[in-house]
Amino acid sequence: MSDNKEQIFFTALSDAVLDMDETTVEEVAHKVIKEKFDAYRAIENGLVDGMNRAGQLFEDEEYFIPEILLCSDAMYAGLNILNPYINRQQQSARKKVVIGVVEGDTHDIGKNLVKTLLDAAGFDVIDLGRDLPPCQIVDAAIAEQADVIALSTLMTTTMDAMASVIKILQESGYRDSVKVIVGGGPLSQSFADRIGADGYAPSAPSAVKLLHKLFQDTIHA
Amino acid sequence: MNEVNPKTRLLNVLNKRTTDRPPVICMGGMMNASIVEIMNSTGFTLPAAHDNPDLMASLAGAIQEQTGFENLGVPFCMTVEAELLGSRIDKGTLACEPKITKEAFCSVGAVIYRDIDEMIESGRIRTVTAATTKLAVTHQHLPVVVSMTGPISTAASIIDPMSFYKELRKNPASAHRVLDYVTELLIRFAEKSVKAGASVIAIGDPSATGEILGPLMFKEYAVRYLNVLTEAVHGFGTPVILHICGDINKVRSLIPELQADAISTDAMVNLAKLKEDYPSVTTMGNLSTYSLQWGSPHSIAAQTSKLVGDGIDIISPACGLSTSTTLANIRAMTRTVQGE
Repeated sequence: MSDNKEQIFFTALSDAVLDMDETTVEEVAHKVIKEKFDAYRAIENGLVDGMNRAGQLFEDEEYFIPEILLCSDAMYAGLNILNPYINRQQQSARKKVVIGVVEGDTHDIGKNLVKTLLDAAGFDVIDLGRDLPPCQIVDAAIAEQADVIALSTLMTTTMDAMASVIKILQESGYRDSVKVIVGGGPLSQSFADRIGADGYAPSAPSAVKLLHKLFQDTIHA
Repeated sequence: MNEVNPKTRLLNVLNKRTTDRPPVICMGGMMNASIVEIMNSTGFTLPAAHDNPDLMASLAGAIQEQTGFENLGVPFCMTVEAELLGSRIDKGTLACEPKITKEAFCSVGAVIYRDIDEMIESGRIRTVTAATTKLAVTHQHLPVVVSMTGPISTAASIIDPMSFYKELRKNPASAHRVLDYVTELLIRFAEKSVKAGASVIAIGDPSATGEILGPLMFKEYAVRYLNVLTEAVHGFGTPVILHICGDINKVRSLIPELQADAISTDAMVNLAKLKEDYPSVTTMGNLSTYSLQWGSPHSIAAQTSKLVGDGIDIISPACGLSTSTTLANIRAMTRTVQGE
């Protein structure tokens, strides 16, 4: 019975995220706490499930940027309420990603989308922001002991900065300890190959798939 | 042989008249050709040329002369309008274009509406206008193309884009009010440019793609305000070129609704197919800027020949050129079109 009732709440959370309905997400999240349901499961089976469904609609080109940003707001509104109630052990062993937009570019919509979907996929994402000098990205990755550096740019003129990040990693001896993935409008697989990146993702949902592939699905295993 | 001059040729294409061959142009603005090689050899350099009308005109002239593009294109960035509307700009460096460092407003509701009559006489609109005046006098046989930032992209440059995109859906009344305001400023900028001698107004609206907005909002916001702007420019007796970034697949059927006199697209769009499906559309593009940067002159010439062979109406780069693109590669493109 209680499982069933729990699932009704989780489904309500998932639907509200998909419907971009921040208010309902907050209401249901408070009820989850009040009813003492498992907060971690509410996140996984409710909020994250809703965001994954939104990501699928984005991939199917039924949702676009405005919709996905609103779903993301709804998901984070729920996470803010539920996160304090989850058991720390439940969130160990997550792969750490530092993400940012390279120097010269201040467009960060794409980066923010990737961050949201990686959060939803169970990665521990540290957002470095936009217009970042290559050194700063590498320093942050080393300091955070990141497993992944995810780089984005929207401008052709700033693509070379991505190559600099990889070069600095090589020179400082850290290249093998971190995977570098790149994405953004003007990029391509051949560009990623040229600069020696570990992968290229043409869209935000494909960035999640790419990382799952690079880590051979060890994240949720 | 009767040589058609480049200005007449471009205007003929934009007026749907037949010509001897397609023009090969580079519209300026987000798609300017101010490569490092030209700036270093002439001493006409960025970022100084963003603020100095004489330098802006000299650099535009040098680009035309050295690349062989059959137009003059100003300015060399897409921050003129946003700066005027209050956003903080980093003017960039020789090799890196200017960017918005801080949008003026956090949401559509927070926008402060200023007097457009006052704004239009200030900031770098004056720089662009003065450079246009100069170029129109010194290069009478060439079209001066003034490139402007489209309504959605201008709005997304003065309002935090994360908020802006959400508010297009959540707060349409305020979003429309901002777009009315921004479009009015752009119309007045275009009017000043035409009076200064611009032959063509080019609009780049990279934040208004079908990929970002989806078909419904592309129609409600992008098509609507681009057409308001285009029709106003037509009222000044001047044609309009519109560049749409990204993959247009999702909004393909809306392309014929755009009133612009030529549609320029990114490299992934099959322009020959677009032309076949919508014969009324004058096509422009779309040589890969990746090829222009990394390819050989030989392969660039081959790709250019293909575009000409496909009957593309105006040949141009598909996107913003990297500043490290070589002159030899750009010349391979222009000379192929010119039959040299």
